[in-house]
Amino acid sequence: MSAATPPDLHGPADAARARVAALLERAREPRLGGVWTLFGKEVRRFWNTAAQTIGSPVVTTLLYFVVFGYSLGDRLRAIDGVPYISFIVPGLVMLGVINNAFINSAFSLFLTKIQGTIVDVLVSPLTPGQILFAYVGASVLRALLVGVIIWIVAALMGAQTLAHLGVTVAFMLLTATMFATLGVVIAIHARDFNHINLLPSFLITPLTFLGGVFYSIDMLPAPWDTLSHFNPILYMVSGLRHGMVGHSDVPVWSGALILVASNAALWGYAWLLLRSGRKLRE
Amino acid sequence: MGAPPAPGEPLVRIDGVTKRYGDLVAVDDVSLAIEPGEIFALLGPNGAGKTTLIGCVTGLTVGFSGRITVAGYDVVRDYRVTRRLVGLVPQELNYDAFFTVRDLIRYQGGYYGEPPSERRVDELLDAFDLSGKADANSRWLSGGMKRRLLIVKALVHDPALLFLDEPTAGVDVVLREELWAYVRRLRELGTTIVLTTHYIEEAEMLADRVGIIDGGRLLRVDRREALMAEYASRTVDVRLTRPPPPELFARLPDLQLEPLAGEGVRLVYRDAEADRAADAAPSPVQRLLDALRGLDLDVASVDAHRSSLEAVFRRLVFTEDRQAPPSRGVTGGGPP
Repeated sequence: MSAATPPDLHGPADAARARVAALLERAREPRLGGVWTLFGKEVRRFWNTAAQTIGSPVVTTLLYFVVFGYSLGDRLRAIDGVPYISFIVPGLVMLGVINNAFINSAFSLFLTKIQGTIVDVLVSPLTPGQILFAYVGASVLRALLVGVIIWIVAALMGAQTLAHLGVTVAFMLLTATMFATLGVVIAIHARDFNHINLLPSFLITPLTFLGGVFYSIDMLPAPWDTLSHFNPILYMVSGLRHGMVGHSDVPVWSGALILVASNAALWGYAWLLLRSGRKLRE
Repeated sequence: MGAPPAPGEPLVRIDGVTKRYGDLVAVDDVSLAIEPGEIFALLGPNGAGKTTLIGCVTGLTVGFSGRITVAGYDVVRDYRVTRRLVGLVPQELNYDAFFTVRDLIRYQGGYYGEPPSERRVDELLDAFDLSGKADANSRWLSGGMKRRLLIVKALVHDPALLFLDEPTAGVDVVLREELWAYVRRLRELGTTIVLTTHYIEEAEMLADRVGIIDGGRLLRVDRREALMAEYASRTVDVRLTRPPPPELFARLPDLQLEPLAGEGVRLVYRDAEADRAADAAPSPVQRLLDALRGLDLDVASVDAHRSSLEAVFRRLVFTEDRQAPPSRGVTGGGPP
């Protein structure tokens, strides 16, 4: 069918061939700028509404700190030699990191999907890995900002939380990456906003609260102390608590192992989803 | 391996492409070559497979069989190269409520490697009459402005091949004409253009070649003039001062002639017939007028119009598809 009479063009055809030749010169060189543009855009998306995306979670979490740690803390006994005011800081930081990492990537990507602007990214030469890096990276940055601000304010109010800095940073970073990647996966699968709200409300937040944010699981009666060991978030909170105050309910290596494994699995799955184009390029 | 198309080589080569969604065959074994520098119109009713077909080239549709190359590069394997060459104006209006018009243009260019210069952004804003809204949130743009922003975003990385998916759907007459003028200018500057449309007038006004697509199948591809010359017809409505007598129809048995409601007759003839007739015998119009004079019938008014591509379209889509013409959402003429 395409064998039909070719168009009788001279000027435009030559101009077009010249344009293609010039563009190909540039198109053949790999360029890495694109990923930073998307990352920068996603950072600005939350930064433009920082009062809501950073200020609000920091204030909410610090209220827990003020009420439980600062006001009631004096009346609660030290846990394993750690004053309660310091003990709850890693739990609260984890609460902020987990929620904000997930919500940021899930909402941003889902919003882009329903607004139709995802097309702008999908027709670009960005690779699946670059798209994933940009969304996860921006969410990790937001989660760390929230976590670090809570950490600093708590320290200024008297909490002692500098036991092992390296462990602290590693657990914050790995947890943020894991939940940001989970957010990307959920956003790709979600068909309406409910799908995104259900996970934090019914799974992530309960598991975080029950993961030893406010207490040591040694304080729980049987069988809750044993059951708590099936909660993966316990291992993350415990790891961070080891980093900040040197106390841990479970071995630090077990938390690190869970985080590295879940990060690898989620990242791999998200990358495959983006590469296949399922749910997005259809 | 990819290279700029040599003289005689197409810019886009679509080879036996089929895309299925479950049982639905959205694109059915389509082969097509797009020549550098042409304006190609894919004409078809809603749901014909136009958007899916261009989606296969631009990367929005995956999982098709067959092969597509742009400048010799495979759109699946070498997508990082082909997407730098291609721009897409999608059919659906979109906006990002978090950013201004200027931000969105800058970001869109940035995805392709490096953000555009301020001068380039200003030029584009100016060319599409969006300068006044540069710092407005894209949410508050009117439909026409959102459409223009989509075009700017598709052009910001300076593509050599531009796909316009139903570019004038829901666009007013003034903007439509401006858009057509801009498309022609882009082509002069060396951009190859593929547009999809269900407005026959759009294909007629703009395209060098037209591909007629329906039910996922490409029914016919040819130069616009060739299609029109072959199929296009003219309709002449003659209003009389009294009803035409049966004798008139008896005198001209070989012409396609019918009475009009009220007092008058309608003559329909194909351009090709008229051209042949002109060499030897009087034209169909001349014969009708002679017959009217012979019967002493006075002419009150004459209306004539050319049905052009619409006739081609109806013939191909409705006869080859064996579907009834009504209720398909296909209309002649321009956008409402």
